[in-house]
Amino acid sequence: MKDLLRLKTSLNEEIEKLLNDQIKVEAHSSAIYLAMSSWCDNQGYDFSAGYFEKQSGEERKHMLKLFKYINDRGGKAISPEIFNIPADFESFRSVFEQALEQEMYVTQQFNNIADQCFKQKDFVTFQFIQWFLQEQIEEEYVARRILEMFDVIGEEGTGRWEIDKHIPKVSYSAE
Amino acid sequence: MPCPFAKLEEVYQTQHGAVYQCSNQNCYWLDFAGDKTAFRVADFLHFKKKVDSIDVASLIIDSSRHADYTILMPFRSERCFALTLNDLLNLRELLDGARFMIELNSVIKSCLKSTPSRA
Repeated sequence: MKDLLRLKTSLNEEIEKLLNDQIKVEAHSSAIYLAMSSWCDNQGYDFSAGYFEKQSGEERKHMLKLFKYINDRGGKAISPEIFNIPADFESFRSVFEQALEQEMYVTQQFNNIADQCFKQKDFVTFQFIQWFLQEQIEEEYVARRILEMFDVIGEEGTGRWEIDKHIPKVSYSAE
Repeated sequence: MPCPFAKLEEVYQTQHGAVYQCSNQNCYWLDFAGDKTAFRVADFLHFKKKVDSIDVASLIIDSSRHADYTILMPFRSERCFALTLNDLLNLRELLDGARFMIELNSVIKSCLKSTPSRA
């Protein structure tokens, strides 16, 4: 009997589901970062607002990268439903703590996908997600470094203004 | 009804229906409740997911009249499925079996391809 399933898609059903779940995670991250950007802007943290807006755009690009991959391999990418996006945050510091937690969660999800790729012997998808795993090193590094500035600079006096000013300068280099 | 050029091969059968594969048209035929419906591969898989996602437990508990039937109208099909709880369970059994056989066929094909021929 002809194998209609593989004629239609090269993606295993479970891997396709995991990738679609990841699309949702990326879209959720993008929406959270946008909410953080708005909050920072509202509180007068201009540079942080710009940083989160940029992060939001990057997460959306990640989402679209996954979206395209699923469709390119014959699967069906699903446009995700996003809800539970906070509009308010406890403090300037808590925004960045939440951002780091979000990045760590994303890394964990990609690790799970990599694990499943090995189990299913889907090395094509494994190769594809290498880029995301690499990207997560930078994402976590930057989020952690920013958070450390709260201790290094301190929040008293003009501390928060100083931290905000330094946020765009935090960058990662693998070299 | 299948077209005259249809080359139907049985995928799975229960006493309530059957799923056939047409290797000419690359589609599946679902024979259920006295009628045959053609599905493209993606539509068939989507239809199965839709059937699987129905919360049977809540239908059993719900005493209202609308819970007696589940209506399914798959896209790109003129068929409308009005399913009682019994029908729903029978359809699920049929689709589960068919999905398993489709996957099994795929696994066998890929094993045969990856096994070097012994001359």
